[in-house]
Amino acid sequence: MKSVLNFVFLFLVFMTTLNSTVHGATGDRLKYLPVQDGGRVKPFDSFARETLELLYGRSSFKRPTGNQSEPAYLIVMSFLLSPESWVEVPLFEVNNLEIKKYLGLNAEEKHFKGNDLFKGEKFANLIQQLNDRREAKEKLNPYFQAVQRLENQFYTFRELTAGRYIKVMPVEGSDSWLGVSALPSAQQSLFVALSQNLARYLGEMGQSGAKSEATLKAGKELDSSVDQFISSVQTVTSNKISAEVFYNDAHLFRWVYIFYLLAALILLYIWIRNSSLNMNIVWVITWIGFLLHMTGFAFRVYLAERPPVTNMYETVVWVSWGAVLFSMILEKIYKYKSILLAGLLVGVFSMVVADMAPAILDPSIQPLEAVLRSNYWLIIHVMTITISYAAFFLAFGLGDLGLVYYVIDAQKYREQIKNISTAVYRAMQIGVAFLAPGIILGGVWADYSWGRFWGWDPKETWALIVLLGYIIVLHARLVNWLQNFGMLVAGVITFNLVIMAWYGVNFVLGAGLHSYGFGAGGIEYVLIFTLAHVLFLAYAAVVRKTQEKTI
Amino acid sequence: MQFKNKTIQKFWRFSTSFQMGIPIIASLMILIIWGTIVESQYDAKTAGKLVYQSWMMYTVMGLLIYNLTIVMVDRLPWKPNHYPFILVHIGIIALIYGGWVTQHYGLDGTLSVPIQKSNGMVMVQQTDFTIYATFNGEKYSKIYDQEVDFFKQNISENKPVQFNLDYGADPGSTSPPQDLKIVKYVPYARATQKIVKSQDPVAGSSVKFQLSNSNVQQIETLTQQNKNKTTETTLGLLTIYLGYNQKKLGRKNPHVNEVYLNAIDQQNLDYSLFNKNETAPYKKGQAKIGSVVPTVWMGLEIRIMDYVQLAKQDWQVVELGRPTAATTEAIQIVFNGKPEWLLLNDTVKVFTDKVAYIMAYHNRQIPLDFKLYLDQFEVSNYQGTRKAKEYASRVTVKSKDSDQAVTTQPISMNEPMKYAGYTFYQASFEKDEKTGLPVASIFSVNRDPGRWIKYLGSIIFSLGIIWLFYQRRKRRTAV
Repeated sequence: MKSVLNFVFLFLVFMTTLNSTVHGATGDRLKYLPVQDGGRVKPFDSFARETLELLYGRSSFKRPTGNQSEPAYLIVMSFLLSPESWVEVPLFEVNNLEIKKYLGLNAEEKHFKGNDLFKGEKFANLIQQLNDRREAKEKLNPYFQAVQRLENQFYTFRELTAGRYIKVMPVEGSDSWLGVSALPSAQQSLFVALSQNLARYLGEMGQSGAKSEATLKAGKELDSSVDQFISSVQTVTSNKISAEVFYNDAHLFRWVYIFYLLAALILLYIWIRNSSLNMNIVWVITWIGFLLHMTGFAFRVYLAERPPVTNMYETVVWVSWGAVLFSMILEKIYKYKSILLAGLLVGVFSMVVADMAPAILDPSIQPLEAVLRSNYWLIIHVMTITISYAAFFLAFGLGDLGLVYYVIDAQKYREQIKNISTAVYRAMQIGVAFLAPGIILGGVWADYSWGRFWGWDPKETWALIVLLGYIIVLHARLVNWLQNFGMLVAGVITFNLVIMAWYGVNFVLGAGLHSYGFGAGGIEYVLIFTLAHVLFLAYAAVVRKTQEKTI
Repeated sequence: MQFKNKTIQKFWRFSTSFQMGIPIIASLMILIIWGTIVESQYDAKTAGKLVYQSWMMYTVMGLLIYNLTIVMVDRLPWKPNHYPFILVHIGIIALIYGGWVTQHYGLDGTLSVPIQKSNGMVMVQQTDFTIYATFNGEKYSKIYDQEVDFFKQNISENKPVQFNLDYGADPGSTSPPQDLKIVKYVPYARATQKIVKSQDPVAGSSVKFQLSNSNVQQIETLTQQNKNKTTETTLGLLTIYLGYNQKKLGRKNPHVNEVYLNAIDQQNLDYSLFNKNETAPYKKGQAKIGSVVPTVWMGLEIRIMDYVQLAKQDWQVVELGRPTAATTEAIQIVFNGKPEWLLLNDTVKVFTDKVAYIMAYHNRQIPLDFKLYLDQFEVSNYQGTRKAKEYASRVTVKSKDSDQAVTTQPISMNEPMKYAGYTFYQASFEKDEKTGLPVASIFSVNRDPGRWIKYLGSIIFSLGIIWLFYQRRKRRTAV
């Protein structure tokens, strides 16, 4: 009981500190400016981060000369102040080597100047090629997806600097807001004042540093001009806008993996050293991470008004939550320590992946396809299926952990290995117990809204393949075809089916009715991940053979 | 279970063992993995034909049901700890059986209803080949109508599908039968249209012209369906007609600027230009390919770029290895030695001295006992975007012949309408290419006698799975 109170207290303390560090800096009122973009009203902060993500590949900007990151909201607004100077800055991210070669760019570099990219015939040729593809209605391969991004960067930057892209003022009788360039004169002049104040603020910051008195003064003036502008266009600054800015700044999911990692390290120490340190510490830290995880979810649900499982990023976050949850439950029952450790490591791994690859796993909140706008079914069907992936992920983590023991010394750790393989079996059972009804619920949803229970759509088919794979494993265990080593290997190998069903269908196959979740990129990393595990399995098998021989 | 006969006993043991069960599940897995790969490389239809509805799939499913059943029978008499596994197996069998019932006895199609119009024909996946024939060009009779599946049939020049058409031949006549062959099937065809000369004496004309001044430049083609059908196009401030006998019938619309084009012979066209609200043409004459006719409308000139007196639209087909959103199916037919392309859901017309035939290769249309009238269709977008958020139809069920309204109901995403054993789902909508406004609502229509079996199976299966999960593993082995 005491430990429960402890962690609640610690959690609250953490949240308040986070809140106060994030909030109320001078010069940041601009973040709260409501803009209409992507089918919803969002704070300028989110808009700027997403835009900079598209152009630059990160949500903050680092000048080639300086080493300080500048926040997106200042950078993106400053595009309007001096478009000419921004095309002379290496702002645009290009990753595709073929495109770099075609445009005659340095293959080593990542960011390029607008003038080097968009001027001249070669860029126009690329766009022409892309349009030809589109006209033939052919699927875009990775090269053309990269050209598409380049085109997107070009148009976004052009529309931004022309003042058409930032839509700041609602119009009565229309659901489309006015862009900055189309404002009525009264608002126009307030916006000009805002821009001038922004220029002054940026200037002071560059000259006398961010903390100087002059900068603070300029910041205050900027803030008040932003407020004046907001009240003049009569947008409602709702709690949602502030909540979203807080969500952006607090970066809760980063804290989540920090706490999970901390808990995992302490647990590892206790476990390896057989230390007398109290497991309660581990539990408290795990719980803080877990609650932060849920808080992050709560924010997303509040902001997007839907369950947070509608794109790849959200499912990764959701699955890692589920893996930690299942590991906590199983750990409470079995007290092996290894289960919680595996869960925490899986949690850390997937949260780091979600955080590190915004270009592949898009964290922005996007409008939902019309077919999906049925929260009730979405919750039930998608959440059950993906939570089963969490259990399989846990089985995978456990399998890895058990194989590490095999590699170290199978005889000495026989007890631990037996425990872990039991845990793998339990985790797989949990997974199957969720996946099978989840697939059926998917059928029920499809039947209810499209009139077909089962249509061999790749996404549903792959969920079935996963189920069949794990059913084979469970049956093979039942008749003792798989013993401890086999179970651990199965935990790792069979998870590849989950990777295919979860990531592969959307990013590799790219076919079928579930096209609303499709994306691109990251295939090389996933392949490396898979291959590394295959090698590890082979190594463990070889070690096991030699150990058997020596006995 | 025990059998006296050793071979039977051995076979029984094998059937009930995992030596049989696991390979079955594994082959099912591999088969459907292949299916998803085929779908990603080609399309859902190809995957269905090659994998999901293939004999391999039916074999594996049959074996699976056999195995699931026999394993249950082997455990007789059942003890309480068998119940969850029995439930799971029965559930799976029911699901597969329900699916089979749906596939064989159900209806699954689409119904496209234009706004303020009605439709009662459901289009399904099966394809038919139909031939109509006529003597006089007016009254057609259906002389052939068969279900076809060219995808599986493997048609080639050497192995064509052959027909002998002898419509209207006198009994005992010695005139040779008219020879029709289907010589090629192209599953992924990119088809483009071109105008060619026709042998048909009642064929219409085709004119390709350019309308231009210093600001505008536009190329259009007008092609008549037949000699007696007028075709027209409106380009800004004038309307152009081809094949309208203005001398006899008077102006079509005196309130707009009009141009009338009429075929004279193989080379020459007749034209007359009318200002709005004037009865006499301000200019008339003859033109041929290359002629330029100046007008008084903002300096616009009409340049005749191409002209065919007896014209028909012909398809040029490029065979692609894989489908795209722009490909369709096409078959090549040869009639009395002359090849023609026929696209899916299109028709082609061929002639002899006496008879005209129309051939159609089309998805089957199944008539409902009633029809749907689309009162209203609405799309709402996400704010400030053109991304659809929701779309909804309002339909009235009308009786087939008397147009009498039976009931009016909304159909929207996730909110289907049930009527007379059918369920109508909002599937998508058609947009006008130019304006982007919706013109028709598309429903999927479904009648599923296997539904209750599948649902029952689902419940049994899910209960069993959850029960199994709670059941502790008592023994290390179950055999």
